[in-house]
Formats: sequence, structure tokens, C-alpha cells
Amino acid sequence: MFKPRLKQEYVLNYRGGKMGVSAVPGSGKTQTLSYLAAKLIRERIEEEEEEVLIVTLVNSAVENFSARVSAFIQSYGLLPHTGYRVRTLHGLSHDIVRERPSLVGLSDDFYIIDDRTTEQILKDCVQTWIRGNPYALLDFLTPDCNDEKISWLRRDKFPDVITEIARAFIKEAKDLQMTVTDIRNRLDRYSEKFPLIEMGLAIYEDYNRALSYRGGVDFDDLICLALKALKLDEAYLCRLRKRWPYILEDEAQDSSLLQEEILRLLSGHEGNWVRVGDPNQAIYETFTTANPKYLRNFLNEPEVTPRELPNSGRSTKSIINLANYLIRWTQNSHPVENLRNALVPPYIEQTDPDDPQPNPTDNLSKIKILLKKFTPGEEREFIINSLRKWLPQNQHSTVAVLMFKNDPASELVDELKKNKIDYVELLRSTKSTRDTAGALAHVLGYLAYPAYPAQLARLYEVWRRKDRDEEEIKNEIHRIASLLKNCQYVEDFLWPRMSKNWLEDMGLREEEEIYKELIIFRDLVRSWQKATLLPIDQLILTIAQDLFADSSELALSHKLSILLGQARKYHPEWRLPDFYRELSTIAKNERKFLGFSEEDIGFDPEKYKGKVIVSTMHKAKGLEWDRVYLMSVNNYDFPSALPHDTFISEKWFIRDNLNVTAETLAQLRALYSDSITEYKEGEETKKSRLACASERLRLLYVGITRAKKELIITWNSGPKFDQQAAAPLVALNSFTAGQKNI
Amino acid sequence: MVQGRTPHHPGYYALPITCYDQFNIMKYSEDQLNLINKPLESKIFLEGPGGTGKTTAASGRLLHFLSEGVRADSILIIVPQRTLSLPYTEVLKGVGLPAGGTVTVQTIGGLAQRMIELFWPAIAEKAGFRNPELDLTFLSLETAQYYMARIVKPLLRKGYFQTIKIERNRLYSQILDNLNKAALVGFPHTSIGERLKSSWVGEKSQERIYEEAGECAVRFRSYCLKNNLFDFSLKVEFFFNHLWTYAACYRHLTETYKHIIVDNIEEDTPVTHDMLAEWLPHFKSALVIYDTEGGFRSFLGSDPVNACKIKEVTGENIIFNKSFVTSSNLRAFACELGRSLHRIKEKETGDIRPVLIFKPHRYHIDMLQWVSEEIEKLVKEEQTKPEEIVVVSPFLTDSLRFSLMNRLKEKGIPVRSHRPSRALREEPEIQCLLTLAAIAHPAWKNLPNSFDLSYALMQAIEDLDLIRAQLLAENLYGKKENKPFLKSFDTISTALQERITYIAGEHYEILRIWIERYIEGPPAELDHFLSRLFGEVLSQKGFGFYSSLEAGDIVANLLDSVKNFRRIIIDNEEKSLGQEYIEMVQEGLVADQYIRSWIFEEKNSVLLAPAYTFLMSNRPVNYQFWLNAGSMGWWERLYQPLTHPYVLSRQWSVNRPWTDDDEFDSRERALYRLTQGLICRCRRKIYLGFSELGEQGYEQKGPLLRAIQRVLSKLPQEKLNV
Repeated sequence: MFKPRLKQEYVLNYRGGKMGVSAVPGSGKTQTLSYLAAKLIRERIEEEEEEVLIVTLVNSAVENFSARVSAFIQSYGLLPHTGYRVRTLHGLSHDIVRERPSLVGLSDDFYIIDDRTTEQILKDCVQTWIRGNPYALLDFLTPDCNDEKISWLRRDKFPDVITEIARAFIKEAKDLQMTVTDIRNRLDRYSEKFPLIEMGLAIYEDYNRALSYRGGVDFDDLICLALKALKLDEAYLCRLRKRWPYILEDEAQDSSLLQEEILRLLSGHEGNWVRVGDPNQAIYETFTTANPKYLRNFLNEPEVTPRELPNSGRSTKSIINLANYLIRWTQNSHPVENLRNALVPPYIEQTDPDDPQPNPTDNLSKIKILLKKFTPGEEREFIINSLRKWLPQNQHSTVAVLMFKNDPASELVDELKKNKIDYVELLRSTKSTRDTAGALAHVLGYLAYPAYPAQLARLYEVWRRKDRDEEEIKNEIHRIASLLKNCQYVEDFLWPRMSKNWLEDMGLREEEEIYKELIIFRDLVRSWQKATLLPIDQLILTIAQDLFADSSELALSHKLSILLGQARKYHPEWRLPDFYRELSTIAKNERKFLGFSEEDIGFDPEKYKGKVIVSTMHKAKGLEWDRVYLMSVNNYDFPSALPHDTFISEKWFIRDNLNVTAETLAQLRALYSDSITEYKEGEETKKSRLACASERLRLLYVGITRAKKELIITWNSGPKFDQQAAAPLVALNSFTAGQKNI
Repeated sequence: MVQGRTPHHPGYYALPITCYDQFNIMKYSEDQLNLINKPLESKIFLEGPGGTGKTTAASGRLLHFLSEGVRADSILIIVPQRTLSLPYTEVLKGVGLPAGGTVTVQTIGGLAQRMIELFWPAIAEKAGFRNPELDLTFLSLETAQYYMARIVKPLLRKGYFQTIKIERNRLYSQILDNLNKAALVGFPHTSIGERLKSSWVGEKSQERIYEEAGECAVRFRSYCLKNNLFDFSLKVEFFFNHLWTYAACYRHLTETYKHIIVDNIEEDTPVTHDMLAEWLPHFKSALVIYDTEGGFRSFLGSDPVNACKIKEVTGENIIFNKSFVTSSNLRAFACELGRSLHRIKEKETGDIRPVLIFKPHRYHIDMLQWVSEEIEKLVKEEQTKPEEIVVVSPFLTDSLRFSLMNRLKEKGIPVRSHRPSRALREEPEIQCLLTLAAIAHPAWKNLPNSFDLSYALMQAIEDLDLIRAQLLAENLYGKKENKPFLKSFDTISTALQERITYIAGEHYEILRIWIERYIEGPPAELDHFLSRLFGEVLSQKGFGFYSSLEAGDIVANLLDSVKNFRRIIIDNEEKSLGQEYIEMVQEGLVADQYIRSWIFEEKNSVLLAPAYTFLMSNRPVNYQFWLNAGSMGWWERLYQPLTHPYVLSRQWSVNRPWTDDDEFDSRERALYRLTQGLICRCRRKIYLGFSELGEQGYEQKGPLLRAIQRVLSKLPQEKLNV
């Protein structure tokens, strides 16, 4: 049973009104918030229709919250899953819009167009725009660009740059709730031309038209439309306020303007709204419209009761000291003065010795901050070697390797595979999701070209993929696959005619086991071949029923079947090779797809003792491991806005190191606030450098605070070997060295 | 005989009608017999909830009329939807009718069409048709959509409907729906936009959308008047506004029919009610049946409140309220669920626990597995007839339908599905025919890809497997100057011929030569071409459609659809009919010929259907499975955002804003009606299937589930059938 500590008690004494809670990493905020929800359900929820609304940031947290609240309310003798609702902002927006679609101009069967499709639509719109505007962006190129170079840039670089600008432009416009017409009307007030806005606007318009044609909305629309619905119909808002008399918001530091507006409307002036977050863990600012200032401002509102959860039993004293030092160093010694507020107190405090979650025994030697210059390959090698030494002695401990980006993480995964080290990924899509999509993709790949023996052999291996762990069976699978690979004419095996029967001609009847196995496999492939006549969604379901037994795999196949069915609707020209490619992008981790596995909907590191978890730092938020590796902490992934730092968003072919995306957004915001005449080129680029550096500092803080007992931080010199150790890393190294000397 | 079921025993009613009661005294309750034996010239308004034997009594009264020597052709039976005529047509099938023609069983739309055909030339000009001397054409749902698309597409390019997000086909169908509502409710179609606008409380931009929808409706109507095209709305308006007031037609109707039975009047529309109110005094006898808890078709214009005014013109009011279908336990569930949905219901004593079976699941797929296992138990262990089981869901996605049907078929349980809106392009047989049609018409310059051809060949040639079909397509299919063609089997190497086999090659050659000869001659109409291709090649021995009755049925549907299309199509210089038709199929055209499979399907099978479709078949069963009980779909209002079933009804006063309270109340009322309708059509048990995560992975906590939770929370936990 949960036994709250004193500061948690203060939070749990909440009865109503507005409360803001600053919670340090590992302070048990999920547990406290879940317990508070259960208490409110028991003590405060009076009507059957009422629910405590819990809003959190990511899907994986939804399940976690739901399970905890459910357990608490069951312990009170109440029905599980009643009296509360846990949603991400998208989930909440979906609920709001789903109930009154026509209010915001949607059809009753509107659907959410997934990320990949919207990305494709956006790219198509960008291509169309580039074709119609051959001289675009010329004013922004470095002076050394000659015609040849320009033509190369237009072909190879512009599509990506303009897509990035357009994506950000559309997102920002939606966040500001500016429609195409709004922007156009505002632009018409000025005689001056704003080519970046004109470009964003043209693509925004085209993109919207493409979505309307499909009768769908993208994820950002969903949030805007939810807000619009609440603003449009006061009575509807009142009904929802009645339904959700208490709102508990987790990870409030990553709240966006729209999220804040929606929750502010739902809670009302006198309403009950608890916001919990840690401004030091705001890590979504640069690529979403999230901003920790909303939480900070809320905490300063006069009617808000501020609370703190400063105690954390997660990490050793040394790790807590290191994290606190990062805050102190940032505040006092960061070389860029404007960044000194990137991390702010409260500092993390240890728990009392009699706390139910005491800090682990301290061991300073378990913190290693390496300033040694590695190449990316050497760094991976170092990590692999370290893991090989550590894992055998620590089979009952948890370990994770965290980094900033997905791609290097995938490269590490490849190395782990090669070195036969057990691992679990938390990347774009999880391994089990990708395995399921991959298995289905292989079957589609074969069915698209069924006459190829190598494909048939691979199909056989896919079918038997779960039996490959046992050495003996593995050899048998390998042998059968080799036999199939050498079957010159596949039809002589699958659909033999009188004169030619591969199975009989090979004399396999004498090897009874293999013969039987091949007969079963043949029947299966025949049935799949016949099923190719079915629409794609039905074909997927047919294959899935033969291929999978786990509920989560079958549920995922069902979801994939719907996804491909929708794709077919809008691409009637697609055939099996296209669907194969579509599934492959999910299987190869090139595209995010939310599955049903445990990793997707609520990850528990404790279930993976002795295995290496590979994750981005973003996905690791809220999780903890005994040992944590932070990789690639160099001045490219973790810039500090120092003169020698380079920024991903500043392209080498754009003059004056301008960040054109940031400049476009600055113009749009200026247009929104009627101050576009005051816009000065280059200022936003500087600001965005600071924002980026500030966020990476917080990301580093998040990374450090994932570790319970051991922490290893390394860096590499990047693909061109020209990068340096990140400035905070050097500071942390000095601090640790000093501590060790003491 | 079990009450509430339609008798369909052949010859059962051929007994002398005078012996009827004597022989079948157990068939009817005392109340029913009283009604049946009322004097011939009675005018009765019969009301009661579903399952109380109203339709059975009406069928009995129909037989009674016939046994008393009433001429069959003087009897008119009006139902709101074709499926609801089945109880009467089945009864009539078994009767050896004396001389005097047949009983007319019609929907009001069907009657309107007959009258228009009869009186068209005389009244066309007066009704505003600009070319009355020319033939008239009745549009089906698909052809009306085709014309609406022609009118709306250029406007879309001009920026119409910019601020709403809706699929094209639904956009067209909602504008048509507005026209239908105007006709069925009885207000001018020119006021559609204004009515919708006046109730709107949201953003101003939506008002423009309503104006645009109104404008499209006006343009469409004007086009129809110019070209003598009758969509459903015009048919209804023409009938009520012109024919009903036209003396010759009025005389014809009032003199032809002397006895009338109107079933499910609550599902019919206000103008039908108006007309009946005027017409009823002219009949010698009338029986009007009203389901007090019906009104399921309100999204299509039905108006149960308005239907009550017929009571004023009938002489006698009879109430049936004893259910022949549901047990007291199920009635108790109906009552508690009704109360949970804030509707006051008279308290019923009964135990809900034995009749409500449920099991929560994590995944949607687990729920489907549970449902199929429970059905298997019912059929195999409890010897339940499959036809006594229905599985209903608010929506029936392709994936859901396919997954569940497959699971049941694997268990050897016959299953059928009603889901009318299936696109033609989803049928492999249709894809096959249209691929071959494209190859046989090189002038269309429609180039199927080799995958399409291999799938077409796989179906066209008996026993041809996918690999050999692909070898044929890859090696013998060519494209030249943007035109497709097939090469002779002889042009490939002997080794390849052997791989493909000579038998397959021979059949390929028959097909190829047939197509080649066809190309040499003048192109036939698409339906003629398809009919010949099917008859001369594909249905012959050795070809794929030879032994498939189902394929024959699908081809017949396609032919109907093409014929229908051909009759109404207006010459397009750029494209042939075939090209236009194929484009329409590719855009997701839905054929409206589904009634064929509805009537001729395998009866003794588990039915899988959307909940409303099941209700409108008006057939009680022993067991119901309610799928996706947590889905929001159970109370979603259909047909948004361009139309509005409540605002465009007679119960709504113009200028009254539609508020959230109205929205909530209407949805709750609809959910109440739907669930009561389902329960009163269930004899034994209701199985509730729900999963935490829906098909798409979203958590499901919809209002039906919450309402049921409220019912359950009042029951002792340990005794639930979990």
C-alpha cells in the first residue's frame, strides 16, 4: 500500500481549486497523482456521470496511470475503470471532437490521418509548390551559389528544407488558430512582400485541401478543433465541465498553448485543476509548440496553491549531487549568460532513511564521465565492451543506453545484435511492433512475387521464426529453407502437375518429418496465394490468423489491416508491392507506429533485468535503471550556443547561418500580433540557438536522473570527426573528479 | 407457431380460411384473434412495443380479409422500407389466392414511382418539367450520386465546402439526403440552407457551407427538371404535390384500393402521414400499426411523433403490450437500462443476471474470439439454430466483419452479413470482369497493371494458381501506344509453356481469342459485353465462374448496376460509358442492389449486422451479441455535418437554435430507442462484448457501456455472469 511522505501528504490534502506542483525526478509524482485521483473519486465524485480527468503527455503513461488508479480504487471497494479517464492531449481532443463532429465541420465518420500519410501529403504539396516557384529561396542562399549549385540544391536539398519549414509553419499556424483566410487577410494589409510566409501559406492551403478531400484531420487539427468546439458551444463546454469536475495534469512542463487553453476552459474560472511538472524536464520545446513557461506562469498565478515534491529516493547521493551540480553550474557558471535559467531549483533532496523508498547505497566510483575523444564507431565499441563485462555479473539489474537521436540508437542495436547481447528497443516503433509488421511484410513481399524460390525460403523462415531458439530445430529450419531456395520452379512444389512434383521428385517422402512439414507449409502458402484476391485488409487478417497467436500481435495486425485498408481507399492504384513497402517502413523503424505491446503502452524496466534497453532520452522519461549509459554528449547533439557550436537547423547553403524555419515562424508570429513591421531578420535564429541549447541541457538532466546507481557518459567526434565534448559534460567531469579527490 | 415470427410454411394458409381459427387456435393470442376478427369495415390504430405480435396479427387480418372474399387487388399494404414487407410477402406466398389479382405491398416511394409512370405525360409540364415530351428516368442512389458529383465537382474547384472535412461520396449523399428530407417532411427544397443556418450556433463559416449545400440542392433539382430525372426526393414531391392532387390519379388510387394496412407507421415520414390522413377516410377498412418504441429511421426522416396524428382519423385504438418475445428478466433489463438512460419506465420484476452475459477483454480481437466461442457453444452444445443468433455492432468495418465471419466459418457455423454499403471495387469477381473489359476496349486507354491481369486470370481460368497466372500476365500482356493487348500463348518458349501447362494455355487462348474477336467488331454496351463474356466464356466448363453460384449473383448485381447507369448516362464526348463506369467504381461507388442478396441468402445462419439494420429486419432472435459495447458509435448521430435529421424535421421550429442539450438529449433518446428495440427482439440472452481498447487501439468508454455499468453497479457483484 502506498505510504505517502510528508510533502506528498501536502499534495494529497488537496480538496479543490488550482494547485501547481513542482516535482523533481523520482519524487513519486505518478504515484501521488494516481493516489490523489483515487481519493477524489472516493470522496468527491458524486454523480455517476462525473469523472476525474487525468491528462498526461505520452501514450505509454496512460496505461501506467490507468492501472495505478484502478488498483487504488479497487482497494476502496469501487468498480475498476470507473470514475476517471486518462488521456493524452490527443486522446482528450479526440473525445471532445468525436462527440460533436459537426460543430467543427467534420463528418460523423471523420478519421485521423496518420503521420506517414500526412507527411506524404505535405511532401507532395511541397513538390507542387517548388515546381510552380522555381526561383524560391534564392534570396536566402549563400553568395557563392552558382547556377549549377542552385539547380542541385533545388533538386536535392530544397524539398527537405521547405518541407521542414512548411511542417513547422502549419503547426504554428494551427497553434495560433490562424486559418488560411486569416493569414491571407492579415498579409493583404501590408504592401511589403513576405516570401517565407507566402510560401508557408501556399503549402498550408494545399495541404488543408488534401486533408478535406480525404474527409480526415491530422493530429494537430484534432487539438485545434477540440478547442474550437469548446469555444463555439458554451453549453457543450458546461456539460464537459460537469463531466470532469477535477482535472489532474501530469508533465505540465511540456504543456502547449493549446493544451493550456483547453484545460483552462474545461476547468473554468472556479474549477479544480492540478498541474504537476518539472520545468527542468521540459524537453519538447524545439520540435513541438510545448513551452515550460506555461507551467512557470501558472505557478505564479495568485489563486494557485504551489507545492513541491523535492524528495527523490531514486538515485544514489552521488548521482543526485551530479544532477544538482548541473543545475548550479547552469545557474552560476554557464558560459552563455542567457542560458543560466535553463535549469532552475528546486534541487533534488534525498529521502529520509525511514522512507519507503530510500536512496540506494552511494558509490561515487560508479559514476564515470569520460572525456576521451571517441569516433562514433569507437564509442559504440566501448559501450559494447563495457556491457559485455558488466552484464554477466548483473543479470538481476537493469541497464539502459540512452541517446539523443533514433538513428545512432539503431546503429547501436545492430552492434548489440552482432555481439549477441540481449536487448529491447524503445525507439520510433518498438521491436515487437516491428517484428509483427515485418513478418506480415515478408508474406506480402512473397505474395507479390510468388515465383521466387529465395522469397519462399524466407517466407518459411518467417513462419517458423519463433522456433529458431532451439539449436536442433534451427538446423532443421535452415535445411528446409535451403531446400526451398534450390527449388527452381516454385509452382512444382506448391501446385504440382502430374509430370512434375518437386516434393516427390526430391525423394523427400523418406524423410517423414521434413515431408510432413513441407506439406503443412505448402497448404498454408496455397491458402495465402488464394487470399491475394481479397482486399488488402482482409488479406492481412487472413495471414495474421495463421501467423500469430498472441493477442497483442493479432490486435496489431487488425490495426495494420485498417491502416492498409485506408491506404487502399486513397490509393486505388496500389498493389501488393506498394503495401509491402508500406509495412516495411514500419518494420524497418522508418516510421512511428503505435502498437499494442507492453513497450508501446507502458514500459516497466524491471521486467527486463539482464537485458540492455536502447532508447532515446525522450522515450526514457519517467523510467529508471540501475545503470545508465548516456552516449554522444558532444557539442552537436548538445550545443551550448557557443561560437564553435553548429546547429542542425542552420543549413550550410543558407546565408548568414540563418535558421529559415525559425525566421519563418517569427514572421508568422509577428503577423499574428500585428508587429510584422518590427521583424528583424536573424534575431530569431539567435533565439532558437538559445532555445535549442537550453532544451538540450534539460535533456542531459533528464538523462542523468534516469540512473539509480551507476552512470557512464561518453561523447564522440561525429561523422566528420570535428565535434567536441559538450560544455556541460566538461563541467560535470571536473565536478566528479573533484568529488573523487575529496 | 412461435409468436412474432413470420409464418413461411408453404401451403400453410391454403387451408380454407373459414377453418383457419379452428385449425390454428394456438397461433394467436386472444387479443390478436379479437383484432383479426373485427368487422371488415373497421379502422383501427394498433399500437404497442416491439415483440407484442402486431405484425403477426396484421398478417392474420390480411388472411382473414382474403378468406372473407375481399379482392386481393383492393388491398394495399404500406411499409416504410422494403425489408419490412417481407412478413407480408411471405404470408402471401403461402396463400392460394382466389381470382382478383395480387395484394399490393409497397413503400410510399414505390407507390409514387408506379403513379408517376402511369400519369407522367398528363402532368409533367404542370410540375415544372421542361421537356415533358421526352422519356423520364428514375435515378437510383448511385446514379443520383453520379449526377450530384457532376454538379458539385466544378463548384468544389471554385472553393465550395472548403471549411468542412468530408469524403466526396458522403458530401454528395448528404446533399441528396437534404433534398429527401425536404420532400419527406414537406418543406420547399429551396429553404434547406436557411433552415440549417437558422439552427446553427457555431462558427459563422459553417453558415456559408449550409448556403452552398442549399445551392447545390437547387442546382441539382433544376438539372433533374430539365432532363426528366427523378431522384427519390423528386419522386416523392411529384407524387404528393402533383399526382395526389391530380383528379385522375386521386380517383385511381381511391377507387383501386379499399383496404389498407400500414405497418411501422412510426418509421414513415410526415408527408406519408399527411397523405394517409387524407386518404384513410376513403378506405373501407384500415389497420395502422405503430411501434411505441420505434423511430429508428429518424435519421432518414421518419417521425414517430407526427405518426400519432393518424390516430385521429382511425376509429378505434387498440393497444398490445404483452410481449411474446422477451422474458420478464429481459424486460427487467430493458427497464433498468431505460432508467439508466434517464427514461422513466414502469418497473419490471425480473432478474437481470441470467440474461446478461459479459466478459471484459483487453483487446478487440480477444472479444471477437470470445464471441465466436460463445456462439460455438450455443450452436454445438445447446443445439441453438444459427438463425436464432444475431451479432450486432454500431458499425461493421470490413475488418471486423471479415475477422468474425472467418472465425465462425472455421468452427463450421454458417454466418451471413448485412452491410449494404460495400463498394463494388471490393469484390474480386467485379475486379476480374472490369480488368478484362478494359483489355477488350483498348480505345479506353485504361491500362490494368499486370497484377490485376494475373488476379483476373486466376479467377477466369479454373484451377489456375497465382504463380502461373503471374507467368501468363508477365509474359503475354503488353501495352502499345497506351493501349493494352494480349499475346498468343504460342509466342512464348516451350519451356515456359510447360511451366504454365498446356491446359491453362488452352483456356487462356480461348479467352484471348474471344477478346480479340470482340475487339474486331463494333464495341458493345458495357452490360452487353459483360453479359456475353460471362455467358460465352467465364461460365463455361474449364473457366472460373463455371461452378460458382455466388459469382453468378455478383455478376448479376454488376449487370444491374451498369444497366441502370447506362439508362441514365448522358453522352460524354470525351469518355465512353464503360470508362465513366469504371472510374466510378474506382472512386468507391456503392451498388444499391443489395436487396437481392438480402432476400435470397442462406437463412439458417448467424446474422452479423449493424444494429439498425437488424432492427429494420424486425425479426426476433433467441440470442443477441452486442459488440463493442464501449464504442461511441452506439450513440453517434449519423449524417453530419451538411444535414441534420432533427432540425430538418417537422418537430423542429424554424429559427430555434440546436443546442448541446438538444444534441445530448437526442442522442440519449436514440440510444434508448435502439437498446429497447434490440431487447424487445431478444427471447433469451444478451451477450455483451467489450474490450478496453477498440479496433484502432483507442480506449472505449462510450455511453452504452457507462449506462450498463450503472445498471450493473446496482446488482450484487458476485452473481454476475462474468
